[in-house]
Amino acid sequence: MSGLGARGRIAIPLAAIGIFAVAYAIASAYVTDQYYQLMLTLVLIWAVMGSSWNLLSGYAGLISFGHAAFFGLGAYTVTLLLTHFDVSPWFGIPAGALVGAVAAIVIGYPTFRLRGHYFALAMLAYPLALLYVFEWLGYQEVALPMKRIDPARYMQFSDYHVYTMLALGLLVAALLISLAVERSRFGMSLLAIKQNEPAAEAAGIDTLRWKMRALVLSGALAALAGGLYAVVLLVITPQTVFGMLTSAQALVVTLVGGVGTMWGPVIGAAILVPLSETLQARLGNVVPGIQGVVYGVAIILVILLAPEGVFWRVRDRLAPRARPGAREAARASTRPIADPAASTRAAADRAPILEVSDLSRSFGGLQAVEGVSFTVRRGAILGIIGPNGAGKTTLFNLLNGFLRPDRGRVVWEGRDLIGLKPNEICGLGVGRTFQVVRSFARMSVLQNVVVGALAAARSDSDAVEMARVALARVGLTDRAGASAGTLSNQELRLMELARAVAARPRLLLLDETLAGLGRQEVEEMIATIRSLAADGTTVVIIEHTMHAMVRLAEELLVLDHGRRLTVGSPAEVTRDPAVIEAYLGRKWVAAGAAG
Amino acid sequence: MQTQALVEDFFQALTAGILDGSIYGLMCVGLGLIFGVMRVINFAQGEFLMLGMYFTLYIATGLALTALLGPYAGPFVAVALAGLVLFAGGYLLHRYLVSRVTGTRAVGAEGEGHYAQLILTLGVALILQNGGLIVFGSTPQSLRTPLSSSAWEIGLPFGGSAAVLVNKARAVAFLVSIATTAGLFWFIHRSHLGKALRAAADNPEAAIYMGIDVDRAHRTAFGIGTGVTAVAGGLVATYYPFQPYVGLEFVIIMYAGVVLGGMGSILGAFWGGMTIGLVQQLSALVLPFQLQNVAIFAVFLLVVLVRPQGLYGRSVERT
Amino acid sequence: MLQVEALSVAYGGLRALSDVSLTVAEGEFVAIVGPNGAGKTTLFKTISGTVAPLMGRIRFAGRDLLAVPPAQRARLGIAHVPEGRQVFKSMTVMENLELGAYRPDARPAWRRNLERIFGLFPVLADRQDQLAGTLSGGEQQMLAIGRGLASSPKLLLLDEPSLGLAPTVADLIFESIEQIHRQDKLTTLLVEQRVVEALQSCDSGYVLETGRVVLQGPHDKLLADDRVRKAYLGM
Repeated sequence: MSGLGARGRIAIPLAAIGIFAVAYAIASAYVTDQYYQLMLTLVLIWAVMGSSWNLLSGYAGLISFGHAAFFGLGAYTVTLLLTHFDVSPWFGIPAGALVGAVAAIVIGYPTFRLRGHYFALAMLAYPLALLYVFEWLGYQEVALPMKRIDPARYMQFSDYHVYTMLALGLLVAALLISLAVERSRFGMSLLAIKQNEPAAEAAGIDTLRWKMRALVLSGALAALAGGLYAVVLLVITPQTVFGMLTSAQALVVTLVGGVGTMWGPVIGAAILVPLSETLQARLGNVVPGIQGVVYGVAIILVILLAPEGVFWRVRDRLAPRARPGAREAARASTRPIADPAASTRAAADRAPILEVSDLSRSFGGLQAVEGVSFTVRRGAILGIIGPNGAGKTTLFNLLNGFLRPDRGRVVWEGRDLIGLKPNEICGLGVGRTFQVVRSFARMSVLQNVVVGALAAARSDSDAVEMARVALARVGLTDRAGASAGTLSNQELRLMELARAVAARPRLLLLDETLAGLGRQEVEEMIATIRSLAADGTTVVIIEHTMHAMVRLAEELLVLDHGRRLTVGSPAEVTRDPAVIEAYLGRKWVAAGAAG
Repeated sequence: MQTQALVEDFFQALTAGILDGSIYGLMCVGLGLIFGVMRVINFAQGEFLMLGMYFTLYIATGLALTALLGPYAGPFVAVALAGLVLFAGGYLLHRYLVSRVTGTRAVGAEGEGHYAQLILTLGVALILQNGGLIVFGSTPQSLRTPLSSSAWEIGLPFGGSAAVLVNKARAVAFLVSIATTAGLFWFIHRSHLGKALRAAADNPEAAIYMGIDVDRAHRTAFGIGTGVTAVAGGLVATYYPFQPYVGLEFVIIMYAGVVLGGMGSILGAFWGGMTIGLVQQLSALVLPFQLQNVAIFAVFLLVVLVRPQGLYGRSVERT
Repeated sequence: MLQVEALSVAYGGLRALSDVSLTVAEGEFVAIVGPNGAGKTTLFKTISGTVAPLMGRIRFAGRDLLAVPPAQRARLGIAHVPEGRQVFKSMTVMENLELGAYRPDARPAWRRNLERIFGLFPVLADRQDQLAGTLSGGEQQMLAIGRGLASSPKLLLLDEPSLGLAPTVADLIFESIEQIHRQDKLTTLLVEQRVVEALQSCDSGYVLETGRVVLQGPHDKLLADDRVRKAYLGM
């Protein structure tokens, strides 16, 4: 498995890259036919292009239909620098990378405000627009001039082997970059964004910054591929470098080979490029569009049969995941242990640490939360309950920064949280779990939890250590290395809990952690949550499962129709006529009084 | 004389904008049904436009309709037939491919539905585009009718002898577009089946409780969407040359029009397309010809960034 | 008319219903109460077919309901008024009602049913041409019920009709439901959080908690039972 905190040293993938490079170089040395040599080069170039697409769309999940924009900009930078200013591609190609990076910044800021399909469509518009612009500028077809004197200085070689080597070098660089990303917090952050962007924000990850970085890196790499492409093919037209087929090729190559893994684009390019080029050469006269048809069919087959690509399919076959729940019989046997660093916080001092006053938020005409005020003491466990639609989740979203209130204040440790973004609030010591647990099924439990520690850790190894501590606190240590896809429901909840406490928050917001669990499992969760609170962590929990809440919470805050109904101990609250009325209806109380 | 030329140019552009805009409007109505109402992404919509053009051509010439029905009616009957063929094509496409990546079945698939739709229909688009290249060849074609090369001259009430030329083929296409849009609007809003389609798109779960076969409704709506866009393509074919890659040019126009018009509204999509047509023609007054489409992309980006709910159409929150 | 036997349903990996059995005789009014998350809506979805069970049987008018595809179940005469109203918001009130009568054998009685619906809920007649999405919560609930009635159903399933409604409006809705049952002896299955309103109009009731039936019996017995309160509040 790859990723931060993975078992297995970095030497293995490095060796794999080295072996691949050497093998490819040797194989290409035996090829004498120029045409096949060119094909070998193109496989590499498209693998680089695919790698660049993978950085943005594979790791971060932001599907882009417009990588041709960067490719084309790289190609034209090299070409125009050569034709107009006599600048050698040795400088031109890196210059192209710079242009690609700048273009990424310019494109990124407006476009990242869009979501999902709007993002993909907008990305499509850019290369098409550039296509029209370059045609208008008069660059219908530009050929790189032949340099008779000192051709090597202009990256022109009669022996095509050199181009293969250059391309190989570029691919090795791309693979190393991908590896570095995968193994660092960069990759983890991107994966977290892909998995569940709000949860990533709540875990402290500055999603916009990471997305921009991914796009800039991706754009630069695609531009490099484009620049080399121009040098190898010697002729470029707007259609070939900015066209739809180019963007599609970047996408298909990665999709077929494997999304989100550095080997994916290589596998995909190795399969598709020779296939389509051969078909184009053999049948291109009779069936001129065969390349596109092949790609189209490949896309459809892959998305229906193996949506994640060949790499993952093969890996899953070789190392089958155990059925989820197979370990249901084995309960979390490790007892939860206290966080040693926190023992000093378990003071008798139970000062108010969270003060919410007059919090209100409406949607359209509906007042979801109205004038809610309450205080929470350090180390307390407060349960927020109320009938359906009472505004509990809205309240959480207001506390957490996902929503801005219309009025009111949330003062945490003396600071007003209103107006801060979720990742900033996380940085102030607030953690939150989410109802729907979306985990990285192929990664280990430990790696999943590391995501929660990334924002707070000083270094990558620090993050792994914090994750281990978090797992110990919830009693999941013995499952640290297990693949997250094999966890039972209860274990998934514990993992989610660990993720939230990994950054050592002082306030923990739990969103329906107990929902749907059996009696025994609820008992264990209650014990775990209690032990977290014993360390001094303040816990606020939303729950519907009343029989659990009345045992877990010290105090209950009852909401109804967005308003605070009452606050009190479970025994008080469950006998309070107003609360009974809210849950069972006004007439129950009346009937009880009469009968 | 200067002013007269400018005025003429302006009104010519305006007229062209309205005429072209009506066809764009019809295209957008087709996509509006699919993307706006059903919220399904169909990247291959442009290819259905293209197929509409080619099928119209081949039906008109192949079935000798121009000979049978005369050079005026023949092409338009061919357009209608092409629409029917591509309704069937869209229906089958949804049944066998698109339905696998939409709806509840798609949740859990990689890419969470929308991405899978994008990518799948991209694959379809590639196949249709390049398949078209193979089958139809790359030489631009057109469906010439006597109407294509004649025009009415309409004098302007001011500016002396200023006049606007209205190409007859375009004018007839304009009328057919309006008629088709009106017909579709009537169908969707007044007919029993149309209401079932809207219900299935509005709230599939509740529609099932009504006894509506939601799967079949989605397929039918998809087919109508592709059929309508194909009809628009056929109309374009009567005055504009086309080749297999023409779909890509229009994809952005269609999405821009639907978004501009406000999702969920058929009429909104029509006005959105009309607006795009006007933007395109009026921008030609100041921009060089190749950059017209760039202006459209700019408009698209602006709308999506600034006002994604669109300019027209009713904004009732969907379930 | 409706028999549910040992039904177990899993939903999103969690057990939503465990071994639930209940019976609704023809002309009877049965209520199912219980706190949030008890599985009440899942029960209805299983009856209507949008969720498939793990185990158990459902028989409706003698036939095995699970063998009938979801869209066909409405044609058997089951009208499901869903939780949260689920009206077609982009369509008018009249169009919503028309869609209620979508099944072919509902058309003959359409005029008569429409009169009846407007008689029960005059405000719908006033707002015939308004978009359903612009109606208030209570009006949408009336529309949803009217839509259910438009199909001349044999069994009416009502899922939490008072959800999100102000108490006075909810009272009105319950009165209408009672009226409907009284007038036609329409077999009714009601799921509700509001215990008293549900139990006082019904013939018999079931209390669901975390997917199981914890209490059942005739309505007057349940009304006097403190265990109902415990099921909701935990202690």
